[in-house]
Amino acid sequence: MEFHDDYPEYEKMATHDEVAGKKLRRTLWNVFWIMLVITISELVVGFIAPGKGWTGSIYLKVFFISFTIAKAAYIVMVFMHLGHEVKFFKFTILLPYITFMLYCIFICLNEGTYSGKPANRTPIDALLVKQQVDLRAHKHHGGGEQENVAEPAAEHH
Amino acid sequence: MSHSVEYDPKEAWNGGQSPFRLSYGKIFMWFFLISDALTFGGLLSAYGFIRHKYSDVWPKAENVFTHFPFVEHHIPLAYVGLMTFILIMSSVTMVLAVEAGHRNHKRGVLIWMFWTIIGGLAFVGSQAWEWYHFIEGTDVGALRWVWDPETSHYVQKTIYGANMTVNEYGAPQFANFFFFITGFHGTHVFSGVVINFVIFMNALMGTYERRGHYEMVEKVGLYWHFVDLVWVFVFTFFYLL
Repeated sequence: MEFHDDYPEYEKMATHDEVAGKKLRRTLWNVFWIMLVITISELVVGFIAPGKGWTGSIYLKVFFISFTIAKAAYIVMVFMHLGHEVKFFKFTILLPYITFMLYCIFICLNEGTYSGKPANRTPIDALLVKQQVDLRAHKHHGGGEQENVAEPAAEHH
Repeated sequence: MSHSVEYDPKEAWNGGQSPFRLSYGKIFMWFFLISDALTFGGLLSAYGFIRHKYSDVWPKAENVFTHFPFVEHHIPLAYVGLMTFILIMSSVTMVLAVEAGHRNHKRGVLIWMFWTIIGGLAFVGSQAWEWYHFIEGTDVGALRWVWDPETSHYVQKTIYGANMTVNEYGAPQFANFFFFITGFHGTHVFSGVVINFVIFMNALMGTYERRGHYEMVEKVGLYWHFVDLVWVFVFTFFYLL
């Protein structure tokens, strides 16, 4: 192996001609339309979910999170061009981050659920939750006049 | 995309060349984005922790963010949907500017970067409007326990809107995390607009034409897409779920 210091001009490697550019632009606009459809369907589902009683269901969560990850993948892979980079680079960027974040999310949600259980609450937490629950039940005494006491401060003028 | 120099994975790490086939500037932009993504990931995980901890008293976003400009009725999610659309759109114009740069097409770079800057400003403005309505609150307000320093006791008081200590809509932590995470993201959008403007001016003055390539547009594009990427997650975890 011989050493050479005439580095290739990496800055210019991504350049392309008009024909390739036209093809690329079509891909980019297609991705835009896909992302728009995903966002609109998320909004529609988010809009009708409370009326259908879907709020908080596991299916709704899976739906939103998987659509979010699909959108994120399109941004990273196509818009940020990572999908077309060298395999080494893809793994260098994605693998440590995804590994760490999966662990972080797991530990945060797990601990949050544990410390949120009534038996595990600290005295001040128990007080805070009790206040919020009491206020929700007695909302008609003070603030908003509302029929639906299950919702926190729903706005109905 | 088109790697014009021959690439042999077995030879890639032998030195004398970039094993990633990228300039150092772009690699380090990626490394910076990873560290920034860890910050946002940490914030959103902390949000998940608090949200799971107080899940039974957590406010629902569709009851909080219901305003839309010039519309009397309350439409949940419509405004934030518009903001998301603006940011995705500006991400598309950014990637089109990058594409024009790859053809050394100065006019294309300028036009698309201009629209990206406009989109970024529209987003920051929308966020300011959203904050204003969150801080202002509703006309009716809600009864809340607040700390009274004079008597050293909690007293019941009608609260309008949200701030860092008390929140009309529910648990005060909701407002804390909302202000911190959307504020941090908004700061990123604002700095992105400033950086975009600098690059736009450089392109206008022909700096990159003389240099022979528009890689700076690509690098600032990476940052801009990252801002869009963060918003995709903020949008899901604050507004949809």
